[in-house]
Amino acid sequence: MMKTKKGWLITLLVLVAMILPGTAALGQDETVELRMAWWGSQTRHDQTIAVIELYKEQNPNVEIIYEFSNWDDHWTKLATQAAGGDLPDIIQHDYQRIQEWVTNDQLLPLDPFIESGVIDVSNIAEASLAGGRVNGQLYGFNLGNNSETFIIDVDLLEQAGIEIPPIDWTWDDFEAIALKIQEELGIYAIGGNLHYSEHWKGTYITCCDAYAYNAEGDGLGYTEEQDQYFVDYLNLIKDLTDAGAIPPIEETIARTGLSVEDAYIVTQQAAMEYGWSNMLVAVWNAAGEDRTFIEHSVPSMAGGYPRNYIKPSMFWSISKNSDHPEEAAKFIDFFTNSVEANEIMMAERGVPISSAVREALLPQLNPAQQAMFDFLGAIEDYNSPIRPPDPVAHGDINSNVYLAQVVEPFLYGQMSAEEAVALLRQEAEILLAQ
Amino acid sequence: MTDSALRLPRRGSRKRKEGRSRWGENNLAGYLFISPWLIAFFAFAFIPMVLSFALAFTDYHILRGWNFIGLDNFQRMFYNDVRYWRSVSATVKYVVFAVPLRLVFALGVAMLLNTNRRGVAFYRAAFYAPSVVGASVAVAVMWREVFNREGLVNAILGQFGQPSIWWLGHPDYAIWTLILLAAWQFGSPMLIFLAGLKQIPEQLYESASIDGANGIQKFVRITLPLLTPVIFFNLIMQLIAGFMTFTQAFIITNGSGRPLDTTLFYALYVYKRGFETYEMGYASAMAWVMLAVIALLTAIVFRTSSHWVYYETDEGI
Amino acid sequence: MSSAENPVSRSLPYAGSARLSPPWYQRKAVRTVLYHVFVGLATLAMLYPLLWLFGSSLKGPSEIWTRQTALIPNEIHFDNYKNGWDGFGDISFATFYKNSFFYAGVGTLLTVSASAVVAYGFARIKFRGKRIWFGLMLLTLMLPIQVQIIPQYIMFNELGWINTFYPLLLPRLGGQAFFIFMIVQFIRGIPRELDEAALIDGCGQGGIFFRIILPQLKPVIITAAIFSFYWTWEDFLTPLLYLNSPKLYTISLALRTFSDPSGATNWGEVFAMSALSLVPVFLIFVFFQRYLVQGIATTGLKG
Repeated sequence: MMKTKKGWLITLLVLVAMILPGTAALGQDETVELRMAWWGSQTRHDQTIAVIELYKEQNPNVEIIYEFSNWDDHWTKLATQAAGGDLPDIIQHDYQRIQEWVTNDQLLPLDPFIESGVIDVSNIAEASLAGGRVNGQLYGFNLGNNSETFIIDVDLLEQAGIEIPPIDWTWDDFEAIALKIQEELGIYAIGGNLHYSEHWKGTYITCCDAYAYNAEGDGLGYTEEQDQYFVDYLNLIKDLTDAGAIPPIEETIARTGLSVEDAYIVTQQAAMEYGWSNMLVAVWNAAGEDRTFIEHSVPSMAGGYPRNYIKPSMFWSISKNSDHPEEAAKFIDFFTNSVEANEIMMAERGVPISSAVREALLPQLNPAQQAMFDFLGAIEDYNSPIRPPDPVAHGDINSNVYLAQVVEPFLYGQMSAEEAVALLRQEAEILLAQ
Repeated sequence: MTDSALRLPRRGSRKRKEGRSRWGENNLAGYLFISPWLIAFFAFAFIPMVLSFALAFTDYHILRGWNFIGLDNFQRMFYNDVRYWRSVSATVKYVVFAVPLRLVFALGVAMLLNTNRRGVAFYRAAFYAPSVVGASVAVAVMWREVFNREGLVNAILGQFGQPSIWWLGHPDYAIWTLILLAAWQFGSPMLIFLAGLKQIPEQLYESASIDGANGIQKFVRITLPLLTPVIFFNLIMQLIAGFMTFTQAFIITNGSGRPLDTTLFYALYVYKRGFETYEMGYASAMAWVMLAVIALLTAIVFRTSSHWVYYETDEGI
Repeated sequence: MSSAENPVSRSLPYAGSARLSPPWYQRKAVRTVLYHVFVGLATLAMLYPLLWLFGSSLKGPSEIWTRQTALIPNEIHFDNYKNGWDGFGDISFATFYKNSFFYAGVGTLLTVSASAVVAYGFARIKFRGKRIWFGLMLLTLMLPIQVQIIPQYIMFNELGWINTFYPLLLPRLGGQAFFIFMIVQFIRGIPRELDEAALIDGCGQGGIFFRIILPQLKPVIITAAIFSFYWTWEDFLTPLLYLNSPKLYTISLALRTFSDPSGATNWGEVFAMSALSLVPVFLIFVFFQRYLVQGIATTGLKG
């Protein structure tokens, strides 16, 4: 379609602009207009707008036009804009989706801006950037470090007479603790969501140092004999559900999409909650200051590898059709390295990746932020390397196979774990082979 | 004057013919009157529709571009897509129950409110209220709260000794909460019925009373036939809207189709294929299949309409 | 007025005995009371969402989720309204209101007036190709918007209309199929006698439309205006796609940006602004429904 032609033209223009250093000077006196889009809730909108205002104050030649939405709307709008060749310059992007956008040539590699020093990475560990690399090039600039976590209500665990488990705890440990919480307190051990595909991938990280997908992204990354690990995991979830330690699937599904404010960890109907580490701030905020939470690692398979890895919470990306990629990169640099900007945002998008910024924020952290920083600090010494971004078919597999045909039917009792896992293998391989 | 009441036709009768010659064809005036629509249609709607039709025969991926693939999309949806058929069955179930329920509620309440009693203005506003809160985030939160384990519905059923259920998470019941929501938001067809009732000349009722007709006779002989154009309209529109239902499900089940795809309505699945996995070619193919089905059903209803819809004029469309 | 003669009344003690004043009065009163009890009870179920919304909009953060079913808050928090009104950054809900009024107001005006004109053409005039055009018009209702978004966006983008109200308003110059069809049905319910009289008096089609048909269409035009206003008011998809700058956001769009499942949401403010966003819609309804009541029945045109 015309889109492809246009794409070429834009690529060409961008290349020319990058090769000829003189051309950048053209726009020096004029105002540069950057468009920028992100998703989030009101707090994030307010903070991000404040950072933009600050940037505009310091760079009067830049005008930033921003668009903010919720998660669903953000992606609907971006897809439409991509089809129209009209993407914003700076896009808040997501780890699960970036591979597909890069493969389809929608984003600009950021390495040139790092080489030229526009984006300063001197205070940033390579591990923090790794998640944004696709095929060796950096396309997504990490907005904060994140990791999967079990948020633990410390007081409830104490009430149940349970000690905080060690960081390298296993699912067997979890089972014992979960049953004890149920027994002692009569509440759920954990608020649910243990059936997400993160746990499928996590199973193979911890049991076998493998990943759900192979390196080429055209097949599964574990053998048929290893299917048994996920069968065991699913059966564990089912057993704990039957024992009343995990909410049944009816309940979980009836409650999905509800806000953090209504999470069982907040309402004290569960002692733990599974989620991403940047969620704690919202959880604690909703639960009230008098409560005490910590973030803990996700259990491993017995004797296996650590489950947690450090994941970029979200990215800034620059779209291929940006007219001012360098100005966009400057803004990303400011967003990442400016202490002033980060003092406005206070790690709302995850723990800042710049060590200088982290240090500057340390004295100002509230207990929730402190707990999040502590957790990521601990995970830095106990983690698995981040896996390459999911293959393009993952979105399809996750929503149309994994959830719809495999895990939910299993949890509703329509098939056995063996059948479910075999079906997953069969259907996923078809989609991956395409 | 009274003769028009007496001349109300029985079902199926074609109307009078006498005025016909005077109202012959007038192409100029006709096209002049519909020109705003024609212009807007060709300027804004025609191209996107044709494009989406063309895309149905491609593998158009929003980020990647497209290749012509003939009928592959159709083969895939009919033979190789489990979720497609789940979405068909969810949609059919919804249409079969929600549409009649909604129409019956709307007509019944419109009849009730078509009076000059005191306070009727307030009642009208009240019955329109659920439709106004529409499909906002607030409604989603409220609807879930109503069907929560500790919610209103379980509290009421609990009085009769029913155990509590997670309605929105139960594969047998989740769709019923959405059907109920649709039935409860009958405000728009109700207002259209009301406007239709208002259009029936009161003299007809008066003269019928003089002739000694009772209420039921009046309803059957006057109200119902004169209301048929509006009933017809509401039926067609609710049918179309039923097949296209999207927003409520999108907001209340978070667009997931859960549990077990029992609320995966067709339009929702079209959206998911188009915008979640970017397979817009496939989504377009699904959309056009739906268009064909709705068009066929609508055509059938139109065909039958000559047997039961009473028009004052015989200008056929 | 037209409701059925109550068969129950036959079994009332008065029935048949004293046919003059007291029984009449009694029967009517009984029916009125029954009516109000029945309709009033149903009203409660209908008003529940509004009551719940306004109740929740006054609740503090601790109450919203813990006392979800309670309609009346323990502690009244008016600050939800004040804080919610402040909006995002320096853009308050005043801006969103203004945009919504513009979109819904102009949009309704265009839609309803164009629809009435087009409907007259379809309902009253015979011309070649009418069935085809009408069928095509109905077809536009049957194609899910989800697959038209992208071609439409590309088209408007080529026209350079992104971030303006043109893509939202200009397509309405031709009316909307739903309203055209609706008004057609009503026109076809209007008897021809007056048209004929007007024709004899030398009126053209335009004259018939404006002088004879339009006045009789009042109830349906009002109904169309109520719907059109509300549907435009709550439409978020078109504004989402075509309005980029938050200064142009409408209320429906702004309300959606409040919350994100992973972040903290101030639900009190969401509910407060949701409740406030209903006020204009309701006012429009209450204002216009007066005209709904006096329909054609009282204008006596038919006589």
